[in-house]
Formats: sequence, C-alpha cells, structure tokens
Amino acid sequence: MMRSRRDSGETLVEVLLTVVIVSLTVTSLLSSLGTTSKAGAAQRVGVQSDVVMRNYAEATKAAVQLQCVAAGGTYTVGYQQPTGYSVSGAGSACPSPNATTLSPLQLKVVDPLGRQLTMWIKVRTP
Amino acid sequence: MAIGFVLMVGSIGAGLAGIATTSLNNRNSLEVVRNREYAADGAVEEAIAKVRATQTCTPSSGSVLDTSIVATGIRVDWLTVCPTVMSSGSTAYPQRNVIFSACENTGTTCDPAKVIVRAQVNFEPAAGTVIKTFVQSWSVKR
Repeated sequence: MMRSRRDSGETLVEVLLTVVIVSLTVTSLLSSLGTTSKAGAAQRVGVQSDVVMRNYAEATKAAVQLQCVAAGGTYTVGYQQPTGYSVSGAGSACPSPNATTLSPLQLKVVDPLGRQLTMWIKVRTP
Repeated sequence: MAIGFVLMVGSIGAGLAGIATTSLNNRNSLEVVRNREYAADGAVEEAIAKVRATQTCTPSSGSVLDTSIVATGIRVDWLTVCPTVMSSGSTAYPQRNVIFSACENTGTTCDPAKVIVRAQVNFEPAAGTVIKTFVQSWSVKR
C-alpha cells in the first residue's frame, strides 16, 4: 500500500530535536523571568534602603539640632529602622558650637540582602 | 515560522534583560543624587560654622570650598544681608542674615540654575558673640 507524503509523519529524531529546542527555549525564558523578578526585588530593597538612609540622616541632624545646646553635650538618635535593616555611624558627641570645621560622620545602612550603603553627612550645634 | 519563533523568544529575553539593567541603573542614579544632596547639605553646615565666627553684620559675600566629602569639592557662596526688624514698640532690632548657595565646584561662582541647596540663616548675637543660629529656610533645588 502506497502512503502519500502528507501521511509520512516525522521521524523520531525530528520529534526529539523539536522537544529539545522547545525545552531549551522555555527553560531560558523561565530563567530570564526569574532573574528579572530577583532584579525587581533587589530594586525594591534598594529604594527602601535609600529611604532608610535619608530618614536616618535626617534623624541624626534633628537629634543634634534639638539635643545639643552647649559644648560637651551628647545626643541620641531615636531612629527605629525597618525590620531587616541595621544602621550605624550617627555619633553621639555634640560638636562645639564655635567650631569652624565640622567632622563628617559616615552613616552606614545594611539592607536585608546584606549590602552596605554609606553616606557622609555633617552636623552642627545650632 | 521557526525564524519568527526565535525572534519572539529573543525579543522577550532582551526585554527582560533591559528591565533588569534599567532597575540597576536607576538605583545607582538614586544613590549618586542622594550623596550629592547630603554633601551639599554638609558643605552648607560647614560654611555656617565658618561664617558664624564673623561677629559684625556688614553687607558682604564670600565663598567656602568644602572638599571633605566630595573630592572635587562643594562650593558654598554666601551673602550677608543686614535687615532691621521693628518691634511693636518701634524699637529697631538689626538682624544678621546670611544666604548660602551650594553647588558642585567648578572654580567659579555658583550658577543659580545649578545650585543644589540654598539656605538662609539668622545669627543671633549677644555680648559680641553668636549664641544661636536659626535656619529660616533650607531648600534642596536638585
């Protein structure tokens, strides 16, 4: 019995090759999606870290403005960072009101992903 | 059809890679801007501390270059104005206000369009010394 070309079907090798190519494509697409998702999460943490850093800096400046009234005093920064973050570097000794040079403070924020951000600020006794 | 499929998959992959790269760049830009703002903020604080040492109020101007945070420096131009405030009893109280403008140092006076922080500070004198400073305005421009 003669089979027409339309009825001949595909060989096993062709089917296997197709399956392999489609699998590789789907895998790479899923991998890209996963990477993008992780990048998005990292971006979100990065933006939150920026907010934490700014809030910590403003809290430090405000603490000096409100608590430092004379030379030799100290201040305490009452900033409560979000869960997963740690902050440091705000200092505690009031700068002298008559100082003509201010020492920079290096603020540090460590985000939940373990990345450390740093920023320099200066504070002044009013 | 096969070529179309490959192109489609490639486009999706490129798009996703683009999103990830843009996110990363945005975060870096945010950090650069934030650090520059606070460097300018610190430079203005430094300039206030230096100008505070001047006791008398005479219309004057000057600049302070702060290189302690940014290597290239933040320049702060300051301008003293000496207005007089009248009390309800018609007593005149001379004021000593100083306007500070901070920008990235280019070696010349700050271009108003490139000012990062502008502040006006009042210095309260007593017995020949400044006992308190009052920030009257403090604005971040860019």
